[in-house]
Amino acid sequence: MASGFLVNRGLSPLGVHFQHVCRNVLLTQTREKKRWMKSYMLLMERKKKLEGPPPPKPRSHQPNWDYHAEVQAFGCRLHETFSMDLLKTAFVNPCYIQSEEVNRRELGVDREAVALNLKDNQKLSEQGAEFSQSYLADCCRGAYPNLPPEGVNAIVQYLAGTEIVCHVAKNLAVEDLTLSAEFPVPNEVLQKTFFAVVGALLESSEPQKAGLFIRDFLMTQLIGKDLFELWAVINPMGLLVEELTKRNLSPPEPRITRQAGVSTVLPLHFVGLYSDKKLMAEGPGETILAAEEEAARVALRRIYGYTENRRPWDYTRPREDTAAAQAISSN
Amino acid sequence: MTSRGTASRFLKSVLQNGVGRYVCQIKRISLVFSKDAQTSLGAREFIEDKVVDFAKQNPGIVVYVTPQRCRIPKIIEEYLNGTVKEEPINSKTSEEITQLIKKLTSQSGLEVIRIRKPIHTDSPSIQGQWHPFTNRPPSLRVQGIQSESKAQGAAPK
Repeated sequence: MASGFLVNRGLSPLGVHFQHVCRNVLLTQTREKKRWMKSYMLLMERKKKLEGPPPPKPRSHQPNWDYHAEVQAFGCRLHETFSMDLLKTAFVNPCYIQSEEVNRRELGVDREAVALNLKDNQKLSEQGAEFSQSYLADCCRGAYPNLPPEGVNAIVQYLAGTEIVCHVAKNLAVEDLTLSAEFPVPNEVLQKTFFAVVGALLESSEPQKAGLFIRDFLMTQLIGKDLFELWAVINPMGLLVEELTKRNLSPPEPRITRQAGVSTVLPLHFVGLYSDKKLMAEGPGETILAAEEEAARVALRRIYGYTENRRPWDYTRPREDTAAAQAISSN
Repeated sequence: MTSRGTASRFLKSVLQNGVGRYVCQIKRISLVFSKDAQTSLGAREFIEDKVVDFAKQNPGIVVYVTPQRCRIPKIIEEYLNGTVKEEPINSKTSEEITQLIKKLTSQSGLEVIRIRKPIHTDSPSIQGQWHPFTNRPPSLRVQGIQSESKAQGAAPK
């Protein structure tokens, strides 16, 4: 508003100032304290309180959005080379295609133009899901060879389940790029999109790279988690007896090792499990039964090698492989 | 305010970043500046000289440049965990803006509040957490814990 000039300088009778923007356009303004402002603002605040916060808008509907640039940046950010077509297909969900066709039909577009030229991510998603589950199962079996198949399945179900995959997808900006019918993107759709991205990576580069991707983003979610948080075991003592019979060891005998405050409100019992008169594991609890169960769980953790002080997962392995490959190629 | 009155958090990373691979936590930077105002001088110089190099060096960050009439030029950065922060670059020189952006690229989207401990560990104890019964001789005679391999290979000695 710097251009133009004020017509009324000094005191005006109605407190109204006139400003010529150009010869034929005149703007008026009152610069005094406006009496209607307070009631208007209070009304707007009341309305905002009634309606609550506005519904969330997808990032693509907010200013500053370039889909192609975002998809390219997605690939570069994860240090992976994706083929652009596959990656863009991976983000397209079937529900999006259906809703778009419905919209176009409602808007009265010609029948030929209604059908979108987009492929959905169903096939990529299935490939990605299958590959992820098999890779995760192989990893777990390799790292914890004593873990039974139910344990491996439980870990894989936890890692490839909706909760963890959606958490990872949201923190990797997959949600911004998904094309789906509803917003916020439902968890199942987000999970399928994540697996479709894995499938796209599988097809664009080697399976080894896709495996490293899954290791770096899904296996890291196991950090800080205990085995029995992921695998609900109802009868740890029975499972322990089975494991020991499989290894031809004598069955466990529980004995109380330590006790404190037995007749108080907070008793503490330590129960030790002995196989062949040698102590296998010791567990605390408030009642003797609870302590026995805890001791069984501790024994199972030691047998399966999933203790808290186990060696952490080795994330440096491909560097050694590439170093070995370089050594071989130089020789 | 004292540290008890203000917010604080523990040291953590978004999605265990760095354990597997390191991912730069910024996904988008939008530079909002004015074409004519005095305060956007530094922003305009930064855009003329340095923004393209910055975008080329960080291919994982999408840089948007929006000229609009504004009094205070801003940098709006969006992080991978959804945090959106606005930084005013009011009357900053081009070098100061480069420093600021460099600082932002090394941040994650977690809040910049007091960190309670400068350390974090997921395996706090290797030999077993001490409890009052460790190293206390029990009333009954108890043998020490033998390792699994010794128990398995319990051949006659």
